[in-house]
Amino acid sequence: MFIISCPFCGEREQSEFKAGGEAHIIRPKQPTELSDDEWAEYLFMRKNIKGVQFERWNHTHGCRKWFNVVRDTSNDEIKAVYKMGEKPPTV
Amino acid sequence: MLNYNQALPEQTLLQDLQMKEIKPIMKLVIRGRKREFISAIGKSLNIILPTEANTSTQSDKLTALWLSPDEWMIFSNEPNAQETNTYETENLLNKNISKLNLGAIVDVTDQFVMINLKGNKIYELFQTGSPFNFNKFQDKKGAVTQTILAKIDVIVHNQGKNALNLFVRRSFSQHLFSWMNDAASRL
Repeated sequence: MFIISCPFCGEREQSEFKAGGEAHIIRPKQPTELSDDEWAEYLFMRKNIKGVQFERWNHTHGCRKWFNVVRDTSNDEIKAVYKMGEKPPTV
Repeated sequence: MLNYNQALPEQTLLQDLQMKEIKPIMKLVIRGRKREFISAIGKSLNIILPTEANTSTQSDKLTALWLSPDEWMIFSNEPNAQETNTYETENLLNKNISKLNLGAIVDVTDQFVMINLKGNKIYELFQTGSPFNFNKFQDKKGAVTQTILAKIDVIVHNQGKNALNLFVRRSFSQHLFSWMNDAASRL
């Protein structure tokens, strides 16, 4: 359990949020031209690293907005929070 | 389609905590991003929409709650004089907002049940089932929060000292109310 600072509502407890997986995965421009392996790479393969990870989160039980979180997966420390469409900070 | 029945059959009157459903209250959810949207709402209803997070504004007849950067809930301060499914405010906004493509107006009168809580133990009740920190909230009149109470989504509006309005979806209201009664009995 940890506290996430929603960029719209302020500090809230983690149970109000839903994690949306890794952030900044770019959808291929021409999906029809991809091989199955390349498509699977885009669709399923995630880094899932131990350490600093860029993630998407949704404040489902609050403002229902999506935003990005930079979280250290080893100790749940949140390094940065930024809105969708903003440039990821260097951590 | 719309239902005139009381969602909660009873009310609870303890010494430190009173809870009862207030009805019929008109409730609308309005959504829009444009600046013209906010000014059109202001002109139509004579109310300034709160743009600061977790706050509300009030006029003689209506209260506007901030729900999200592009979403607000408007409800009537007084119960309607009679049971009806047509609201002047909604018709006015449909004409001035929806028809002009400035934003969306949704009637949520029957979707949400408004429960009024009074007494000096209301925040002790919330402590038993909500992850939200009410320390700053309870001193700030007009503060609004959307959070979880007993795993149920609720909207809480602080009305001032030891009084607040709680909005819960109708299908969850009976369960939440019986949970609150149970929790209140052990405060």
